Amino acid sequence: MNAKIKSDEIVLSVKNLTKNFDKLEVLKGIDIDVKKGEVVAVIGPSGCGKSTFLRCLNCMEDPTGGVIMFQGENLVDRKVDINVHRQKIGMVFQQFNLFNNLTIIKNITLAPNVVALGNLRKAKCKNFFIKFANLFRKKDAKKPLIEIKQTKKEIKKANEEKAYALLKRIGLEEKANAYPSTLSGGQKQRIAIIRALAMDPIVMLFDEPTSALDPEMVGEVLDLMKQLAIDGMTMVIVTHEMGFAREVADRVVFIDEGRIKEESAPAEFFSNPKNDRLKDFLSKVL
Amino acid sequence: MIDWAKLWNSFTFQFIDKGGYKEVLRGLGATVQIAVFGLIIGIIVGMFIAIIKVMPKYNFFAKILDKFAVVYVAIFRGTPMVVQLLVGHYFLRPLIGWTCDPLIEAIVIFGLNSGAYVSEIMRGGIQSIDVGQLEAGRAVGLTFWTAMFRIVIPQAIKNIIPTLGNEFITLVKETSVASFVTVLDLYRAFEQIGYASYSFLIPYLVLALIYIVLIVIITIGVKLIERRLKKNERKN
Repeated sequence: MNAKIKSDEIVLSVKNLTKNFDKLEVLKGIDIDVKKGEVVAVIGPSGCGKSTFLRCLNCMEDPTGGVIMFQGENLVDRKVDINVHRQKIGMVFQQFNLFNNLTIIKNITLAPNVVALGNLRKAKCKNFFIKFANLFRKKDAKKPLIEIKQTKKEIKKANEEKAYALLKRIGLEEKANAYPSTLSGGQKQRIAIIRALAMDPIVMLFDEPTSALDPEMVGEVLDLMKQLAIDGMTMVIVTHEMGFAREVADRVVFIDEGRIKEESAPAEFFSNPKNDRLKDFLSKVL
Repeated sequence: MIDWAKLWNSFTFQFIDKGGYKEVLRGLGATVQIAVFGLIIGIIVGMFIAIIKVMPKYNFFAKILDKFAVVYVAIFRGTPMVVQLLVGHYFLRPLIGWTCDPLIEAIVIFGLNSGAYVSEIMRGGIQSIDVGQLEAGRAVGLTFWTAMFRIVIPQAIKNIIPTLGNEFITLVKETSVASFVTVLDLYRAFEQIGYASYSFLIPYLVLALIYIVLIVIITIGVKLIERRLKKNERKN
C-alpha cells in the first residue's frame, strides 16, 4: 500500500485506555495513535479484549478510564455528545446487524436522513428566534439568518441517490427494495459496510467482519475492504484473517491480557515476532 | 323443558317492542370505545414505561424515571380494576375537580391500567430483539430514542401482536366493571333491560353471545394483522 498518500495527521489518539466489567479487568491501559489513511489490524487470542478495545473506541462499551481523542474532543468524557462523533466513526459488526424492519435502501438512508433532517429542524428553529430577536434590533445590527440550502425533499433525494451510487459500487442495486432477511451473509455484510460509508466516516471500525460468513463469501467482503483501504479510508480492523492483515494493513497490533504486546509493520510482525506469546499464537494460526 | 316459543316471545318483547336494542347499541358503543381507546392509551403509556425500563441508567434523571415506572406498574398491577375505577371516581375526581363524562374517566383509567400490563409485554418484546439492532443504530449516530422508535420498537411490536391481542380481549371483557362508575356499558344496558321486565335469562344469554362475537371478531382481526406483517418481511 505504498502508493497511498499518507499524512502525519492523527485521527484517533488513544491514551491509557482501561475497561473493567465489574471486577474483571479487560483492558489494562492501551495506547495507540491512528494516522489518517492508515489501516490498523488488531489480532490476538480470543478473550484478550480486542473486540472490547474496538467497541470502546466509539463508546459502544463505556471505557472505565483513559483518553480517546477524536476531532479534538475526548470521547471518554460523558459531557461530550457521543452521537455527533459516532456519525463520523463507522462501525461494522460481526453479525452484520442490518435493520430487519427496513428495506436495504432505507437501511442505508436512515441515519443520513435523520441527521440531516435533525440539523434542518434545528436551523429552522434557530432562524425563528433570530427573526424574532431581529425585530428589536436596529437596522444595521440585524443578525443574518442561517442559510438553508436544501429542503426536506431535496435532502431525502440526495441521500437516496448517494445510497444508490454506493449500492451500484458493490453491484447490489437490484436489491434496493428487498429486506435483509432475503440476502446472503456476504451481501448483508457488504451492505453493512456501505451503510457505514453513507455517513462519510473519518474512521471505520471493523469487528471481525468475516467471522460469521461462509468461507466462500469471505472473499467478496475482504475485496470491498481492500478497495476502501486503497481509497485511503482510515480503518481499524479486528480480524482473524492473517493473510488479509498481512496484505492490507499498514500496522499490525497484537493484544494480549488487555495490553498491546507487539506492534509493527506486517512484514516484520509476521516474519520476525519478538513477543513469546505472539510467536506461540502465530505458530497456532498460521 | 324449555319453552322455546315463550323465550322467543320474551326476547322480541324485551329487545324490540320495548326498544331494548337501542340501549344495547349504546352500551356496545361505550364498551368498544373504552376498550379501543383504553388499548391505544395503554400501548402509548406501556411503550414509554418499557423503554424507560430498558434504558441505560447513567444519569440521575433516568434513575428517577425508572423508579417512577416501577411504582406505576406496582400500583396498577397491584390493585383490581374495579378498585382503581372507584378510587378514581370517588376520590381523585372530586380531588382535582374533574367534571367530565364518566365514559372519558373510564377510558383514562382503563388506559392507565392497561399501560402497566402492556409495559411488561412490550419490555419482553424489546428484549426479544437482538441487542445488535440497537447497537447498529447507535453506531451510526442515532440517539437512544431515535434508534428505539425507528428500529427496535417496530420489530418488537410485530413480535408482540398476539400477546397484545390477548390484552385487548381481556380489556373488552373487563369493561363490564365500568358500570360501577355509572358508565352505560354493555353489561349495564342488559341489566337495565332485565330490570325493565324482571326477566334476566334472555338478556344475560344475549349479553354472553355479544361478548363472544366481539372477541371472535378481534381474534380474526389480530390474525389478519399478524399475517400481513409477516408477509411484508419476505417481499422480494
